Amino acid sequence: MATTATAPVYAPVESYLGESSLWSWLTTVDHKRIGTLYLFTSLFFFLVGGIEAGVIRWQLAQPNMHVVSAETYNQLFTMHGTTMIFLAIMPLSAAFFNYIVPLQIGARDVAFPRLNAFSYWIFLLGGLFINASWFFGAAPNAGWFAYAPLTTRQFSPGMNIDFWVIGIQILGVSSLAASFNFITTIINMRAPGMNLMRMPMFTWNVFVTQFLIMMAFPVVTIALVFLQFDRFFGTQFYEIAAGADPLLWQHLFWIFGHPEVYILILPAFGLVSEIIPTFSRKPIFGYPVMAYATILIAFLAFGVWAHHMFAVGMGPIGDTVFGVTTMLIAIPTGVKIFNWIFTMWGGSLQFTTAMKFAIGLIFLFTIGGISGVMHSSPPADLQQTDTYFIVAHFHYVMFGGSMMGIFGGIYYYYPKMTGRLLNETLGSWHFWLTFIGMNLTFFPMHFAGLMGMPRRIYTYDAGQGWTAFNLMSSVGAAILIVGTGFFAWNFVRSYKKGAIAGNDPWKAGTLEWAMSSPPPEYNFERIPHVTSRLPLWDITSPQLTAQVPHSEHGDRRLDVDVGSKHVGSGHPNPTANVPKQAAESNMHIELPSGKSAKDLGITLPKPTLYPLLCAFGMTWMFTGLLFIPKDKVSLALAIMISGALFMTAALFAWVLTPLEDAH
Amino acid sequence: MHVPPRLRRLIAAALPALLAVAFAACSTAAYPNSVFTSETEYNREIGFLFKILIWLGTIVFIFVEGLLLYTIWRFRRRSDSDRPEHVHGNTTLEILWTATPALILVLIAVPTVRTIFKTQAKATADALQVEVIGHQWWWEFRYPQYKIVTANELYLPVGRKVNFTLRSQDVIHSFSIPRLGGKRDLITNHTNFLWFTPDSIGEQALNGMCAEYCGASHANMRFKVFTVTPTNFASWAAHQQTGAAFGAQAPPTRAGVDSFLTHDSIGSRPDRDRLRATALAASRTLSPPASMAGHDMSAMTSTAGSVQPAEFIAFPREKIPQFAVPQTPIPDVQFNDALKGDPEKGRLLMTQGQGACLGCHTIVGNPSMLGVIGPSLTHVGSRTTIAGGIYPNDTKHLARWIKNARWMKPGVLMPTIGKGQYDPMLKANLQQGLSDEQIADMVAYLQALK
Repeated sequence: MATTATAPVYAPVESYLGESSLWSWLTTVDHKRIGTLYLFTSLFFFLVGGIEAGVIRWQLAQPNMHVVSAETYNQLFTMHGTTMIFLAIMPLSAAFFNYIVPLQIGARDVAFPRLNAFSYWIFLLGGLFINASWFFGAAPNAGWFAYAPLTTRQFSPGMNIDFWVIGIQILGVSSLAASFNFITTIINMRAPGMNLMRMPMFTWNVFVTQFLIMMAFPVVTIALVFLQFDRFFGTQFYEIAAGADPLLWQHLFWIFGHPEVYILILPAFGLVSEIIPTFSRKPIFGYPVMAYATILIAFLAFGVWAHHMFAVGMGPIGDTVFGVTTMLIAIPTGVKIFNWIFTMWGGSLQFTTAMKFAIGLIFLFTIGGISGVMHSSPPADLQQTDTYFIVAHFHYVMFGGSMMGIFGGIYYYYPKMTGRLLNETLGSWHFWLTFIGMNLTFFPMHFAGLMGMPRRIYTYDAGQGWTAFNLMSSVGAAILIVGTGFFAWNFVRSYKKGAIAGNDPWKAGTLEWAMSSPPPEYNFERIPHVTSRLPLWDITSPQLTAQVPHSEHGDRRLDVDVGSKHVGSGHPNPTANVPKQAAESNMHIELPSGKSAKDLGITLPKPTLYPLLCAFGMTWMFTGLLFIPKDKVSLALAIMISGALFMTAALFAWVLTPLEDAH
Repeated sequence: MHVPPRLRRLIAAALPALLAVAFAACSTAAYPNSVFTSETEYNREIGFLFKILIWLGTIVFIFVEGLLLYTIWRFRRRSDSDRPEHVHGNTTLEILWTATPALILVLIAVPTVRTIFKTQAKATADALQVEVIGHQWWWEFRYPQYKIVTANELYLPVGRKVNFTLRSQDVIHSFSIPRLGGKRDLITNHTNFLWFTPDSIGEQALNGMCAEYCGASHANMRFKVFTVTPTNFASWAAHQQTGAAFGAQAPPTRAGVDSFLTHDSIGSRPDRDRLRATALAASRTLSPPASMAGHDMSAMTSTAGSVQPAEFIAFPREKIPQFAVPQTPIPDVQFNDALKGDPEKGRLLMTQGQGACLGCHTIVGNPSMLGVIGPSLTHVGSRTTIAGGIYPNDTKHLARWIKNARWMKPGVLMPTIGKGQYDPMLKANLQQGLSDEQIADMVAYLQALK
């Protein structure tokens, strides 16, 4: 292949999207289809959460407004937080995990394709379950943090918290199943030659995120089990009349809750770490440090939880320890910011919409980081905690960070997913409206908070000095809604009318761009052999990777057989700094061949309905709990037992069905 | 990056000026709940820390965002044939931007730790003790040194250290007076502390609020703070210690002081239920409960001394600034405002148990009013607000509040008691209940309880 080869523009051909029947979607185990399902579902929930936010801002636009009642407002802010965290940002990240990671590491699919389908279905059903509460007028109303004892039966007798506690439990199953799946995938299924230090930065961030999920979710699961037992079976973990300590919930929740913040932000960091090098035409600055910083952030994430609790009176020692560990987290995060900036330094920056969003993340996350350091100091935090200052801070992190990164990722990867580019003009509108709207919405909240406005109030009095700030925020929210409208229009319109993307519209350096867009169902026809961190640039722009190490280490295990199949042969490893030789590697660009997996003799996992049935059985089983407080115990038992039986039967059928046809 | 010296001087001059303007804009007139005040030693400590944080934050912000903007401007793509240099790392730089933030954080950490230990030290023994008890959704304030129980209005003497003991009756609340400093949660089955000295403030009315989400009416859990001179505080306290009285009624007794000892609203639930049952039984028999008959007035310990005619009994209403007067619009509760109530009739109605007020409220000096679920009404007439600080305490609001509290404040425990009123919790109209005339009498009685 010539050193100057660029991917020619092809119309999308025979891809994984070929078959479009409903059945094919219900039974799919293809990571790309599951990723697509994740993307559409979570974008839908993102809009739902956005509408909730819109009503909140409408209510607060002026003092003493009554657009919605106190009760409805409390449900809205609870569901806004719950939706955005568990049903929008996390699954939006999961969409990228699913779609991109196997392509990036040169795998045919994830390690457990059917478990992957199960993860999606249980997420969908959990999301629908928790939102079904709206139709009973009983949406959760105790905040996404659900502090005991407010959530105990004594103070929340309705079904609201029942929906929340069961819903979050169901969603946790999805996240945990996915985390085991991706850890196994990333450890075991990398293409020959892709050692850990050659993994793309996005995969690195996903890898670390999965460990965070794996270790953080069991903690909240325990907290939720206690609450479930209190609410449904009369235990007394959080019953204050029995002498319970309400701080038990807070500690358990935040041991999960703080790593959760990094679960939300690290995938966005990963996406940005792909986008910036591509549009700077430079490899990422300080790759090893970026990887270590990610690991360090994840490690420190478990030692800072109590900074959410400086007002509970932990005493000076506790406050000091958690204050200092919190400050420490600023160091690896700062390293990432500087490394991104220096990736751009000396580069040739192309301001595509994806790049704008990536730069937006750096700009806005820096603000969120600075305000974060401001409340790492416990005495100062006592003036800020539970005020709008905190609301401003975490929206700079969650919206300015996670969502900006995810939007960037969508603009970047949409062509790979659909074969068509999103419109750049509409994208530009989307970016600028979002950027301006976001700052107008959330920056004044810093001031509202410092001027004493507490959080989670459905109304406020006039003359408190908060009116102007709130009006600004509400106007900003309106701009955000218009911006999101541009995005939605762009997303729908480009699906059919966007420009044809071709393999590699951005001239990127990682594996996923070496195949046609959208990819065929089997991904690579021939599994590529990876000899550097930027295998595609080795072919298309070798001058860019001249200084990127092409070590021999890790390539020796190329000559291997899997089963009876020879999957790779030794090849001359390009010596470092000799671009010409890099081009002679076994890395290749795949042209759309239009051949099916069968033609090529590639075995793919068989589609199956069992993961969906199993997820359904589990959700059905959980639903039974709702009837216990209504004194319909026999009905509850009937539902739970039938759900359990259904789930077990589906599991058996699942286990007894071979993954793929014999070959 | 080269900055012309003139521009540099301009920036150097403009920055502090801008910040000064920003701080000046945080004046307490426009922003009555600003945390940027120095009216207590506590706030001055935090203010010092805050200044460090804001300055360092601003410097980091300008440096990082400036570097970012310069980078994207300087290295924008000029032609497709740009050949960027192939740098993929630089150890010196990376060590530099690991070490520099670490140094900045040390600059923050040292004064932080100092302030933590200073503000969380034990309060000195001479401090005024105030017990704060959070309820859904109102505040109980108890002054153990003065044997006073009151609600939703906090009087603090200027220049004396005040030590708050914070507890909660139900869910978690958070005690916050932004102007005076800090915030501390009230946690069930826990006791927290917070102290400060309002030493650099005159006679002032301030807002306080609950800062931790505590259920439906979290937004409606507010209170007022009045900082008053020590003399006025003594006068207020002496008045608060007396029982409720009005008009030609018997002179104030000090029976209530004794009831302070039993009126501990944080008790075990069975205790509370028993008290409540006693009170309700009393309301049915329309006679004072037997337990009240043999009250031994002499058993009372008194730090208050004898009862003096008090000059200062409440913060003068005309001195209360606009921001401390609630402006919550009145929900749609009809009431005949032309009615003029008779306080004596009102007293009788309440004493007889009409409206079941005595099930939840105490009025010291009225022997059948012994409830401990709701706020003490002993000197309710002298308070400036009702309903957890969301309505001004006047005839118009109080009448509607008694008539249909649940319509006036979402989720509130106090029942709807006006005849024919819609109870939003039971979702039904009340068949029986108090007439407007009866309510007007009760309002007159309550307002007479100065």
